[in-house]
Amino acid sequence: MSRRLILLVLCAVLACGAAMVGCGGDDDEGGGGGSASSGESGTTEGAKVIDVKSMDAAKGNVTYCTGKDTSGDLKEGLKKFNTEFGADGLKAKILEFPTSADEQRNQFVQRQRAKSGECDVFEADVIWTAEFATQKWLYDLTPYIESRKAEFIPSTLTSVTYDKKMWGAPRVTDSGLLFYRTDKVDKVPQTWQDVYQQAASEGGIVYQGAPYEGLTVDFLELAYAAGGKVLSADGSKAEFDNPNNLKALKFMVDGIKDGSAPKSVTTFMEEEARRSFENGKPAFMRNWPYAYALGNEAPKVKGKFEVAPYPSFEGAGKAGILGGHNAVISVYSKNPGGALKLVDYMTSDERITRNAVKYSKAPPLAAVYEDPAVKKALPFAAELKQGVEQAKTRPVSQVYSQISQAIYKNVNEALTGAQTPEQALKNGQAEMEKALQTF
Amino acid sequence: MEATTVKASTPQRRRSRGLSERRLAGYMLTPSLVLIALVAAYPIVYAVWLSLHDYSVRVPGLKRWDIGGNYVEALTSADFWEAFRTTFVFTGVSVFLELLLGIAMALCMHSAFKGQGALRTIVLVPWAVLTVVTAMMWRTIFQPDLGFVTSMLSTFGLPGADIVWLGEDGWALAVMIFADVWKTAPFMALLLLAGLQVIPEDVYDAAKVDGATAWQRFVRITLPLLRPAILVALIFRTLDALRIFDLPFVLTRGAHGTNTLSLLAYQELQQNRIIGLGSALSVLTFLIVMTVSLVYIRFVGGNIRALTEE
Repeated sequence: MSRRLILLVLCAVLACGAAMVGCGGDDDEGGGGGSASSGESGTTEGAKVIDVKSMDAAKGNVTYCTGKDTSGDLKEGLKKFNTEFGADGLKAKILEFPTSADEQRNQFVQRQRAKSGECDVFEADVIWTAEFATQKWLYDLTPYIESRKAEFIPSTLTSVTYDKKMWGAPRVTDSGLLFYRTDKVDKVPQTWQDVYQQAASEGGIVYQGAPYEGLTVDFLELAYAAGGKVLSADGSKAEFDNPNNLKALKFMVDGIKDGSAPKSVTTFMEEEARRSFENGKPAFMRNWPYAYALGNEAPKVKGKFEVAPYPSFEGAGKAGILGGHNAVISVYSKNPGGALKLVDYMTSDERITRNAVKYSKAPPLAAVYEDPAVKKALPFAAELKQGVEQAKTRPVSQVYSQISQAIYKNVNEALTGAQTPEQALKNGQAEMEKALQTF
Repeated sequence: MEATTVKASTPQRRRSRGLSERRLAGYMLTPSLVLIALVAAYPIVYAVWLSLHDYSVRVPGLKRWDIGGNYVEALTSADFWEAFRTTFVFTGVSVFLELLLGIAMALCMHSAFKGQGALRTIVLVPWAVLTVVTAMMWRTIFQPDLGFVTSMLSTFGLPGADIVWLGEDGWALAVMIFADVWKTAPFMALLLLAGLQVIPEDVYDAAKVDGATAWQRFVRITLPLLRPAILVALIFRTLDALRIFDLPFVLTRGAHGTNTLSLLAYQELQQNRIIGLGSALSVLTFLIVMTVSLVYIRFVGGNIRALTEE
């Protein structure tokens, strides 16, 4: 019995150990490249440049890799692509990765490390551009994008730009919006200060205050509007501890103290904020456009709310944070011409319009917002466009995940009162300085 | 026991046959040993190997030797010791509560009554639910504003309606412990029930004849005879609890004093992709779990031997 017990325990421990350290194994050599990079000039030197002419008369097969196509817009697009170009011998198929953004990134990263040509085109989150580019995993699409530059909303192109080159074509963009209750708020407030002031007496404002990526976005929206910043222009130095960031953070902290925002926002992600807003009490909500259609199905707020682009920060300007996805081409693609043709088609006027009308995806192309069908399908098209136009990208860095953690952990602790805003910025600054020194 | 009998009766034949038998046994064990080495030892050795290097997050493929540096960094960071403390507080409190509840539940299930089989099945339901799902469920229940707990408290005018359960130090850990106890107490109960069932009824009958009260029977008979089962259950639960990952990951993402060792290792390895440091953290967690189990065997394993020999 006792011997067997000891053996049993040892086996259990071994199994635990194997399970635990197993995840260390799959990352293997080359130690995954954190996130993006900037500052180190020439990090993308020698990257292959796409030949725009190669897409004329392209033939063969191409694969479009993406996170799970939950709405179905990609599958529809690829089907149309195949009916249009299949006769010429160009066929596309879809390869779906899991829904989670981290997992999509892992899947793509693994294929690129293995120099696999499985993914010709990949649908990359806007925050991955810099990392993929420095790892030399992508074709430089500058000549192609240059030829279409005027079509895109300029801010969406900043999300594909790294090291002065453009690495992808924006396919879906996104920007947070200010939701407000028309029965509680007479007029859209012109400043964030007004928003909070009205919120205090009308049921509050809800946003994403839990310690995760969403809080980084929510904080930066206010901080950028207040004139703040995170890193130096070349991305090499942390400049997080500055008076403008402090203004924004104090503003958020005071908002919770004086009851403009419920203290429960410190545990809210998008869904919690949405449910709280739909329950009828809050007068304002910061959320992504997806909450619009859902809100109009919620009995308590249906038809009683509208959206607006963000107001300005008193004494400073307006800002937002850009979301969305870009189509990038793998440098290991065996059919770059066909891949470019596919990207060209998936980001065409026709497809982007269709995605907006049928699937409520925010268009990165400026002209699409003027389409009557789009205006009808997205009643807030004008506000959304303005939101996208004034949006900025998140800090570009190879150690972005650590930078983002330094922001959301410390901001969250300031919101819950665990540390003062001054301490939070000081700690965030120190953590970023350490992160930037990562080997 | 049989081996010694053979030894005694046929001393001469044993020597030649024993050797070859031993060798044969060795050969026969080789495949399983190789398999164990591949499945269990390889990842562990590989993690140790990774933890002795730095892998660049900037330049693809760049790495360098860093003997011990990652361990020094891990052991000198405040995050590690906070996670260490959280993990042990969580383990200690949750396993203790699970044991108490488990014993109580096992005693209930052990007493004969109609529908016993059905009850045993029902009791196991929480344990059958995936931990991630459990965590999601409790997160919704403890949600401020709309969550069940908050609405109940405010409906009845009880204090605590304004507590942000998952957003305050202390409460967040309490919810995490609560969710774990809810989920794994039935498992504990089942292990203990198996132990209860091997205790012969006549012992109790004899005690009754001698005039022992119910409490005396419980303390003097049930508990001592249940000890081997309790120890096995404790070891299982302790090792499990020390590696807790899914509950804090879903409930709080490690904020508000709920960051555990496994979660910390995950953050460095998967989110930040700092492979050397992340592996060092995994190895440290592994060593801690190993140490705890050795302590169990050292101080408790002996007891079991004594008990079984009685």
